[in-house]
Amino acid sequence: MSNIPVLIVLLPLSAALLCMALSLIHWRLGRDVVIASVAASLVLSVIQLKDVIDHGTVSYVFGKYKIPYGIEFRIDAISAVIIVMILIIGFITLLFSMSFEVRDGGKVKNSGAYTMLALLIVGMVGMTSTGDMFNLYVFLEITSLSGYCLIALGGSRGIVAAFRYMLVGTIAATFYLLGVGILYSQTGTLNMEDMHYMLSRGVSTEAQAVALVFIIAAFGVKMALFPFNGWQPSAYAHANAGSRPLIAGVMGKIPAYAMFRYIFCIYGSEFRFMDEFLLIVGIFSCCGIIYGSVRAMAQTDLRKMLAYSSVAQIGYITLGFATGSPVGIVGGFLHMLAHAFMKSGLFFGTGAIRQKYGSMKMEDLGYIYKKMPLTSGLMVVAALSMVGIPPLGGFFSKWYIGMGAAGSHHLVYLFVLVISSLLNAVYFFKLFEKMFMARDKELPDRIPSEVAQEVPWNMVLAIVVCFLAIILIGVFNVPIVNVLMPTVMEVGS
Amino acid sequence: MTNNMSGISVFLADKGIYFLTAFLLVLGIYGMITCKNYMKKLICMNIMQVAVIFFFLCFGQKNGGTIPVQVTGLMGARHYINPLPHGLMLTAIVVSLGTTGVGLALLTRIKEKYGSIEEDDIIKGENKF
Amino acid sequence: MAKKIKNAIPVVIIAIVLAAAFARFDFLPSIGDPDAPAHTRTSDYYIEHAVKDTNSPNYVTAVIVDYRAFDTMLETTVMFLAGLGVVILLASRPDPKARIIKPRKFTENREHLGAPAYQSINKDVMIKIIEPLILIYAVYVLFHGEVSLGGGFQAGALIGMVYIIDTMVSPGTISLIRLPKERSVALAGAGTFIYTLTGILTLVGGGVFLEYGKLPFSMSFEEKHSTGILMVEVGVTIGVMATIITILNAIHERARFDDDK
Repeated sequence: MSNIPVLIVLLPLSAALLCMALSLIHWRLGRDVVIASVAASLVLSVIQLKDVIDHGTVSYVFGKYKIPYGIEFRIDAISAVIIVMILIIGFITLLFSMSFEVRDGGKVKNSGAYTMLALLIVGMVGMTSTGDMFNLYVFLEITSLSGYCLIALGGSRGIVAAFRYMLVGTIAATFYLLGVGILYSQTGTLNMEDMHYMLSRGVSTEAQAVALVFIIAAFGVKMALFPFNGWQPSAYAHANAGSRPLIAGVMGKIPAYAMFRYIFCIYGSEFRFMDEFLLIVGIFSCCGIIYGSVRAMAQTDLRKMLAYSSVAQIGYITLGFATGSPVGIVGGFLHMLAHAFMKSGLFFGTGAIRQKYGSMKMEDLGYIYKKMPLTSGLMVVAALSMVGIPPLGGFFSKWYIGMGAAGSHHLVYLFVLVISSLLNAVYFFKLFEKMFMARDKELPDRIPSEVAQEVPWNMVLAIVVCFLAIILIGVFNVPIVNVLMPTVMEVGS
Repeated sequence: MTNNMSGISVFLADKGIYFLTAFLLVLGIYGMITCKNYMKKLICMNIMQVAVIFFFLCFGQKNGGTIPVQVTGLMGARHYINPLPHGLMLTAIVVSLGTTGVGLALLTRIKEKYGSIEEDDIIKGENKF
Repeated sequence: MAKKIKNAIPVVIIAIVLAAAFARFDFLPSIGDPDAPAHTRTSDYYIEHAVKDTNSPNYVTAVIVDYRAFDTMLETTVMFLAGLGVVILLASRPDPKARIIKPRKFTENREHLGAPAYQSINKDVMIKIIEPLILIYAVYVLFHGEVSLGGGFQAGALIGMVYIIDTMVSPGTISLIRLPKERSVALAGAGTFIYTLTGILTLVGGGVFLEYGKLPFSMSFEEKHSTGILMVEVGVTIGVMATIITILNAIHERARFDDDK
C-alpha cells in the first residue's frame, strides 16, 4: 500500500526492460506486457490521487535514509493529477500505436517502439514525482533519449528533426546540470525541500539568480517556450505517427511543471529577484503566444499547424505561472490538463485520418465530416476548446488565467489572452472551413471494409477518451480547481 | 600559502579552474553554433558536457583530503574528499555516452539518406520533399 | 560578410551572459576550501556513516549504489535505452536508391567495403595474452568495486571491450559466444532488470524500494547490504557490457559508405 509511488514507475520500467527479451519468444508478448503494466500503473495512480486528496502530500524515501541523504519521491495534489493525466494519455497512445506498427524493421523495431513509449512514460512520471534535483536530471534524460528515438522513427525528415532536437536538448540538459551544480556548491544538498530551507537561510542572491537563469533556459528549451522553440515544430510534425499524440500532447508539459517547482517551491517568495524573473517569463510567454498563433495561421500542413499552435499553448501555461497569483497558477495547471487532452485529441484525429486516407494536407480534408463523423466530431470539440468556447475545458483554463492576470494587475497579459483567442479562432475556423465546406477529394480508403467502424477499435477508444476528457474538464472545472488550490496556496504564498 | 603571493595568483589558485571550465563550455557552444558539419557539432556537444563534468569535480575537492576510500586509522570527514560529485558525474558520463551513441546512429541514418552530413546539403535535400 | 556577422551574434550573446555570470566567480567556493557548504551539509554524513550504513568502505560506491541507488538504476536504464535506440534506428536495411543526394562514386559489387580491415593485428598476442588479462581484471574490478576503486560500469566496459577485440582480430571465424544485436539488446534489458529485481526483492522483504537491509535472505545486516550491492553491480555489468556490444555491432554493420574510399 505504501509502495504505490514507486510501483507506478516500477511497473512500466520493468515491462520496458523485459520487453525486448520477451519479444524474442513471441513478437506480441512484449507489447502486451507493456500495455498491461501501463494499465496497472494507471489504476495505481488513481488510487494514489485519492490517497493524496484524503491525506495530503505523500513522501517516499528510497532505502529509508534520512531526507537530505536519500532520494525522495514527493507527490502533492498537483503532481498526482498530472501523473494520472500522463498515464491516461500514455495508455491510449500505446493502444493507438498498435495501428502504426512498422513491419519493415522486423520485431526489434516493432517492440522497440513500445519499449521507447513505455520509457517515455516512465521518464515523465518520474520527473513529476521526484523530489530530488539530480534524480530529475536522470529522468529528464530518459524522457529526452526516448523522445529523440521516437521522433527519429518518423522517416527521413524525422531523423534530421531528431538530430537537431538532440543537439538543442543536450545543451538544455547541460545547462540544467550547471544550474544544479551552482546551487549544490552553495548549499551542499540536492533534495528540493532541503534546498528551499537552505536557500531561505541566506545564500548569495547572485548565485541563485545565475542558477535560475540556467534552469529556466533549460526547461524553456525542453518545453519549447518562445525564444527556445526552434526545434519544436519539425520535431512534433515529423515524429513517429503512433507516438505523436504523447510527444506533442504531454512531453512539453512536464518541464513546465518542473519549472513551476523550481520557481515557486524551491526559490519561493523569499528570492529577491522573483518579480523580475516572473516578468521575464511573462514576456517570453506573451511573445510566444502571439508568435505561435501567427505562424500557425500560415501553415498548410495540419501537423505543422498544430505544432506551432503548441508553442502558443505552452505560452498560456507559463503565462498562468507568470501572473504569480494562485488563481493564475491554477489556471495554468488547468490549461496544462485541458491542452494535453486537446492536443493529443487533435493528433489522434489527424492520425486516424492519415491511417484511413493517407493525407495530412488541409486541402484534402473536404467532406471528412460525412466520411469520419466520430473523428471529425472530436477534432471540432478539441478545436473549439482551443479557441475557448464556454462549456469546454479550454475556456475555463483561460478564464482562470485571465482572472489571475487581472488580480495581479497585469492587464497586458489579459490583452494578449484575448488577442490570441481571436487568432486561434482564425486558424481553427480555417480548419472547420476545410472540413465542412471544401469539396470532396475522393481519396482512396486504406482501411479494409470488414472493419465495422470508420477506424479500428483502438483508435475509437482513444478518440472517445479524449472527447470525454475535454468535456469533463470543462464541466467539472470547479472540483479540479478545489483539488489543486490548497497545494498552490501553500506554495505560491 | 606564502605571503608574497600576489593577488592574481591567489585568485588563480582559488578560482582559476572555473575560468578553464567556463572557457571549455563556451568553446563547445561556439562550435555547436558555428560548425556546419553535424559530426563536428556532435564533438562540440561532448566538449560542452565534459566542461560541466569538470565543473562538478572542481567543488568535490578538499585541501588535505585523500580519495574517498576508507583507510584504516584515518577517521573523520576532513580527511576525505567529497564523494557525492564524483558519484553524480559517473551518471553524467554514462548519460553523455548514451546521447553520443544515439547521435552517431542518427548521423549514420542521415548520411545514408541524404548522402552527406553537411548542414547545407541536408537543408537542400529536405526542400526536395 | 553578413553571414559572418550573423554567426558572431550568438557567440557575443553567450560571451556576455557568461562573462556577466562568472564575472569574478565570487559566488563560487574556493577550490579545496574544506568549509564550503558543499562539504558540510551532506558529504560529512556520507563519509562518517557509509561503513556503518552500507558496509562499503568505498564512499563513492556507497553513495551511488546505496544512498542514491535509484539514480544508478535509471542511469543503467539510460544505457539500455541508448543501445535500444541505436538498434531500432539502424534496424531497417539501407536503400541507396532512395537517397536524396546520390553518392559521388557509387559502385556496385563492392561487398567487402565495410568489412573490418584489422587483419594485421597479431592474433596470438591479442587472444592468448591480452584478452584473458582484461577479463581477469574485469572480474577483479567487479568484485572489488565495493572495497576499493571500480564497479559495475568499468567491469562492463572491459568485458565489452574483450568482445570487440575478438570481433576485430578474427572477423571471419565463428566465435564462442555470438551476440547479434537483437539478443544483445535483450540481454542489456535483462541485465538492467537484475538491478530492478534487487529492489523488488527488498519490497518483498517488507522494506521500501532498494532498502538492502530488508532483502529476504537469512543473513546479517552487513551481509545483506554487501549482497545487495553485489547483485546490483552484476546487473550493471551485464547491462553495460551488452549495451556496448549492441551499439558497436549495430553501428559497425551499417558503416559502409559507398562514396568513401
